[in-house]
Amino acid sequence: MDFDKIKDAVNSIEMSKVMKYRVIDNCNSVRKERKTQLNYKRWISIASILAIILSISILIPSVNKGLVSTNFVITAYAINDDGNEFRENLSPEKAIFELSTQERIGVVESVGGGANLVFTNIMLKITGEDIDSIEYTINKGKFIEDVILTNEERADREWILTEKIYIIYGELGSEIYQGIKEIGNTYTLMYNEQDKYEYTLAIPSDAKGMIDDDIIINVNVKYIDGNTEQEDIMVGQEFDAISLKLK
Amino acid sequence: MLSSCVLYVKGVDKVLQQSVRPTGNDIEEIVDKYGNMLFKLCLVILCNEYDAEDAVQETLIKYLTKAPTFNDIEHEKAWLITVATNQCKNMRRFHFMHPHVNISNLQLYSKDEENYGLLDLLMKLPNKHKTVLLLYYVEGYKVDEIANILKVSVSATKKRLQRGREIIRDRYRKENE
Repeated sequence: MDFDKIKDAVNSIEMSKVMKYRVIDNCNSVRKERKTQLNYKRWISIASILAIILSISILIPSVNKGLVSTNFVITAYAINDDGNEFRENLSPEKAIFELSTQERIGVVESVGGGANLVFTNIMLKITGEDIDSIEYTINKGKFIEDVILTNEERADREWILTEKIYIIYGELGSEIYQGIKEIGNTYTLMYNEQDKYEYTLAIPSDAKGMIDDDIIINVNVKYIDGNTEQEDIMVGQEFDAISLKLK
Repeated sequence: MLSSCVLYVKGVDKVLQQSVRPTGNDIEEIVDKYGNMLFKLCLVILCNEYDAEDAVQETLIKYLTKAPTFNDIEHEKAWLITVATNQCKNMRRFHFMHPHVNISNLQLYSKDEENYGLLDLLMKLPNKHKTVLLLYYVEGYKVDEIANILKVSVSATKKRLQRGREIIRDRYRKENE
């Protein structure tokens, strides 16, 4: 099997001229439409930044208190629609994972049909010294993992149910399927194996996509010497955004 | 015309090249430059010509409205690939909610009949594997560069590359048995 032939195969694909000129026309017209919208967005951004600065200046004592309460740092991260990684060390101040209506699918997408879960790309990571293991527990919702299945695995209904893989989708004619595996509302992992886990949050919501109140993720850190520390993360919904903050 | 300025720093033997955000009618030039590359990538990932066109268009609109200042041409290209692959990922998730019909004769876009089989194998791969294979074999990126573009670890990129090859090899073997 000569994999270098992939280059020739893919390079033999060409965009038609009709499509090319259609893309140019559409880009030009959409750009004109968005110019005015962008001005609004800019003012909203400036107002948001000013509000955050004001909040920080008022609440600075509680921020400092929150930062020194434990010996570990919780980082939440997600890849935004434009490919940039949004990474925030959590504190009592809200870390906002912004979502515009149009790009809502980018960071958080809800699966319709009554599933009532909002699937997010938000993952958590702990940084600290002499940490042995970490246990995450969410009081409402689930931790989930994107998994790949072969045709044989997909056909094995018993195994799929045992593995708690509930949502499966694939391309027409493909023998490979992608699924969403339920990890559960709690899981424990070793500190030095965090990179091996890509578990994200699935948060319960109502039919309109509004997430439940009082969602809390408990982070319990066990140190090598046997001591433990914990923090609670509150999950909230802002206008078109998910927020995380330490309780 | 895409404006590109070259800054010469007096007394320093160094040239800083900087692309600035395009203005005016640059879209035509940027489509000439990157349109086909993005279309190939999106078509193989999405397996649907209309979705691929939409993904390219949305990527270019983001380029025109949100693009940062790029360090060089490679930075610009990598940014476009990152946005396009994320756009494809989002569109696939969206279609999971709103199923659509895939076209089976994707080979219409390939000029060379000999490549149909390999294209078919590639398109049937899971997204994360096929994106890594595309960037490695077609765009010629190294593993660490791909990891940076896709915002995943180097080891995950290596695994995806290896697994993608295995799947293609197995399917190829089965089809030729």
